[in-house]
Amino acid sequence: MTDDTRRGRLCLDRLTKAFTTQGREPVVAVDSVSLDVAPGEFITLLGPSGCGKTTTLRIVAGLEEASSGHVRLDGDAIDHLPPQRRPMAMVFQSYALFPHLTVSENIAYGLRTRRRGKDEMDSALRIALTSMNLVGLEHRSPHELSGGQQQRVALARALVVQPEVLLFDEPLSNLDAKLRGAMRAEIRRIQRRLGITSLYVTHDQDEAMTMSDRVVVMNKGRIEQAASPADIYFRPATVFVADFIGRANFIEIVPARVEAGSAAVNALGRDMTVAAHPEVRANAATYLMVRPETLSLTAAPEGGIGSVLRATFHGHSVDYEVETGAGTLAVTVPGPDPQRLLAEGTNVTVGIDPARAYVLVKS
Amino acid sequence: MPGSRGRTGAVRTQSPSEDPPRAPRRRRRETSVLVAIIACVALVLVGSVFPIGAVLGTALSPQAWPRYVEFFTSSVDLRILWNTLALGVLVGLAGTAIGFLFAFVQARLDVPGKKVLHLIALMPVVSPPFAVATATIVLFGRRGLVTHELFGLEYDIYGLDGLVFVLSLSLFPVAYLGLLGMMHSLDPAMEEAAMTLGASRWRVFRTVMLPLLAPGLAGPFLLLFVEAIADLANPLVVSGDYTVLASRAYLAVTGEYDTTSAAVYSLILLVPSIGVFVAQRYWLGRKVRTTVTGRPSGTVHLITSWARWPVLALAVLVSLVIVALYGTVIVGGVTRVFGVDHTLTFTHLREVLLGVGQEALKDTTLLAAIATPIAGVFGLLIAWLAVRHLPRSGGWLDFAGTLGVAVPGTVLGIGYLLAYRPSRYVGDLEVLPGLVGGSAVAGGAVAIVLAYVVRSVPAGLRTGTAALSQLHPSLEEASKGLGAGPLRTFRTITLPLIRPALLTGLGYGFARCMTSLSTIILLVTPGTHIITSQILSAANTGRYGVAFAYCTVLTALVLAGFGIIRLLVGRTTTLHRVSGRYAR
Repeated sequence: MTDDTRRGRLCLDRLTKAFTTQGREPVVAVDSVSLDVAPGEFITLLGPSGCGKTTTLRIVAGLEEASSGHVRLDGDAIDHLPPQRRPMAMVFQSYALFPHLTVSENIAYGLRTRRRGKDEMDSALRIALTSMNLVGLEHRSPHELSGGQQQRVALARALVVQPEVLLFDEPLSNLDAKLRGAMRAEIRRIQRRLGITSLYVTHDQDEAMTMSDRVVVMNKGRIEQAASPADIYFRPATVFVADFIGRANFIEIVPARVEAGSAAVNALGRDMTVAAHPEVRANAATYLMVRPETLSLTAAPEGGIGSVLRATFHGHSVDYEVETGAGTLAVTVPGPDPQRLLAEGTNVTVGIDPARAYVLVKS
Repeated sequence: MPGSRGRTGAVRTQSPSEDPPRAPRRRRRETSVLVAIIACVALVLVGSVFPIGAVLGTALSPQAWPRYVEFFTSSVDLRILWNTLALGVLVGLAGTAIGFLFAFVQARLDVPGKKVLHLIALMPVVSPPFAVATATIVLFGRRGLVTHELFGLEYDIYGLDGLVFVLSLSLFPVAYLGLLGMMHSLDPAMEEAAMTLGASRWRVFRTVMLPLLAPGLAGPFLLLFVEAIADLANPLVVSGDYTVLASRAYLAVTGEYDTTSAAVYSLILLVPSIGVFVAQRYWLGRKVRTTVTGRPSGTVHLITSWARWPVLALAVLVSLVIVALYGTVIVGGVTRVFGVDHTLTFTHLREVLLGVGQEALKDTTLLAAIATPIAGVFGLLIAWLAVRHLPRSGGWLDFAGTLGVAVPGTVLGIGYLLAYRPSRYVGDLEVLPGLVGGSAVAGGAVAIVLAYVVRSVPAGLRTGTAALSQLHPSLEEASKGLGAGPLRTFRTITLPLIRPALLTGLGYGFARCMTSLSTIILLVTPGTHIITSQILSAANTGRYGVAFAYCTVLTALVLAGFGIIRLLVGRTTTLHRVSGRYAR
């Protein structure tokens, strides 16, 4: 994955973008974003709307000019290059297919601007049509295609120019759920096969988790964490990340000891050793993060540490809210046993699996 | 919202159990709606349909048949037809090109002074019909200040070149506004996509922007074509011996008293006008090329390279010509003989404000002030009926309401003469007294007001239709659900929400009334003085100073009218959508 001889190493160096409107405070959309993308790596920029992910992508594409900072491709700064001179291609949220051109003409557009020869163009076009399953639609107009087909044309149009970097701006948000799943796999398969460095903007965490080599979670213009999907999920760097990805319980704790990336803590009346964020310090108040589905729930008529406040039955799982001394905890029981559903008001004990919990810094 | 538009208003009388989806069925209409329908139908019948029918009746009567043979065998008459079509095509091309230039500068260039250019481009909208033509003669005519005095040319502006020049500059704002709207609604992502695929700015313009706008260019072109061939004011002043159908028909009535010939010319003029109008409405309206899917995204990339300067220079050049023309109008009104004797004088203004012109100012303003609110109300009413209450027949009412501008003004005027000059008798009983002419009811003022109304209704109708189509019917349905009748709903819910449209409609309507000439000039009588016909006689007798003074005062009156309408109807308020869902 990180083969340094290949082309397509993208480096964002302290990118900052401030939008100034007359008579108003400048809005900092992107705040000192630095990121190294290895050749062939698939990176998603994930965050709530307004977090600066799209602006970052557009700066890389050259469609937006950074207020400060640099974009480097294979070591060379490309800040001065207009979008048409960057060896990149972008797939737009609206697809931006040219309605006055046919499918073939749309796909060939980038080849024509690059003045490729006729033979080369024909073979590239044929390969693109075949690999994107568009054979037979060559002479259709974009508006005669289904949403999924339009999406594939947009992807083919970007891929056919053999860019060093592929940029995606929420390309699947206009498709229905089923098609989205199929397109995710399709995009990932092709990207892997061609080994093109990819930057993918989305606000859909599922998309980010399933597709990426690394997920970059952004908030208020800053990078909160850039890590593999598993690390993002199990070892979130900040409360924001933990809260944004999936659901999380935060239990206030004070670690007794911290060493070599783990902390000795006492939570829900139990002593345990849990993996911890490097910045966690001993004897300082902080949070133990546990995912609802990693907690276990047992009825404890005699005592227990809390009681069921509310039970929501989903079929495939049951969500419980449990009132405890450490606050209200969300507990998800997957594949519930019909004989053992817990009624509201039941006294329970809550079990934590230390291997799937994490201590993070209180921000 | 399938079907919701068509079924609006049916809520009260339909019960869910017997409501098959979107089944057409007759339903009882509220009395108030019925009254509104009758009033609107009566207006379009009396105001447009009967007069046009009268023209058709005369033009297709047996006495007229030999005239067609004459027309299509006479080289003089065929020349007139050719002249008219050539004028239309050239003005359509030139006006659309200028409109495109201004719209492109506005929408895509990163240059200073765009607001000023925008205002200059809108100046011709409120200008009286002869202002540009007269100023053109003074500046660029045989003895023109620029052509003769500055460059020593013996240039003859009269004829096709002068007409194209004057009409293109007068009519291009329509094309400009239309194209500007189109450029703003282009999805910027389209251009961004081309850029990221390696296309240069010029290539993006050539291969993406231009092809996307191309179908949209047909609209402004056809609109200008129709306006140009229908125009009477400018040919009367700058055509020289270049005769067009409109001026020929006018001459047939006023010079030869030959209404049969006039009707024949009118019919021949009607064919392309109505043809283009119908084509635009039913064919072009449906072939609008839109962005394929998804929300528009991205930002507009203004052109910052050197290429913007020559384009801007071209627009500035045109703007300078416009400014020079209107400058001439204003300065010419207060100088003795503009171009020859530049002594400051108020004689022209005095003549207009205190002398002969006073009557005209009074009459025109009064008649326009009567006609404007009537036209505004009927425009909105027709829009409301067509959009909300008459899902099937509404199109016809809307069409009939728009006839007032679709039909060339001269033709409409001739129709009024034919339909309403003679008193109508049933036996010996006079059922309808003559409306046109000095001996007619109110000295012919009724016909003039009617013509004003009919010519102005389309303005309110268009803006009203646009506003109503944006307004979700659920708002009105909610009002009805709370027990309000349709008219009460219109007054308390619909009207306040489309007030900006009402304002625009009234403003345009008033401007149209005050500056209209082609219909009115055939209806003026010794008892009714109309500013535009006064300007014509001043311009035709070479008293350009007086003509300029009239133009200046007329423009001031129109602007004052805008102000008063704004005061009466209320300032445009921004209404914020309160809704859980984004309606696009």
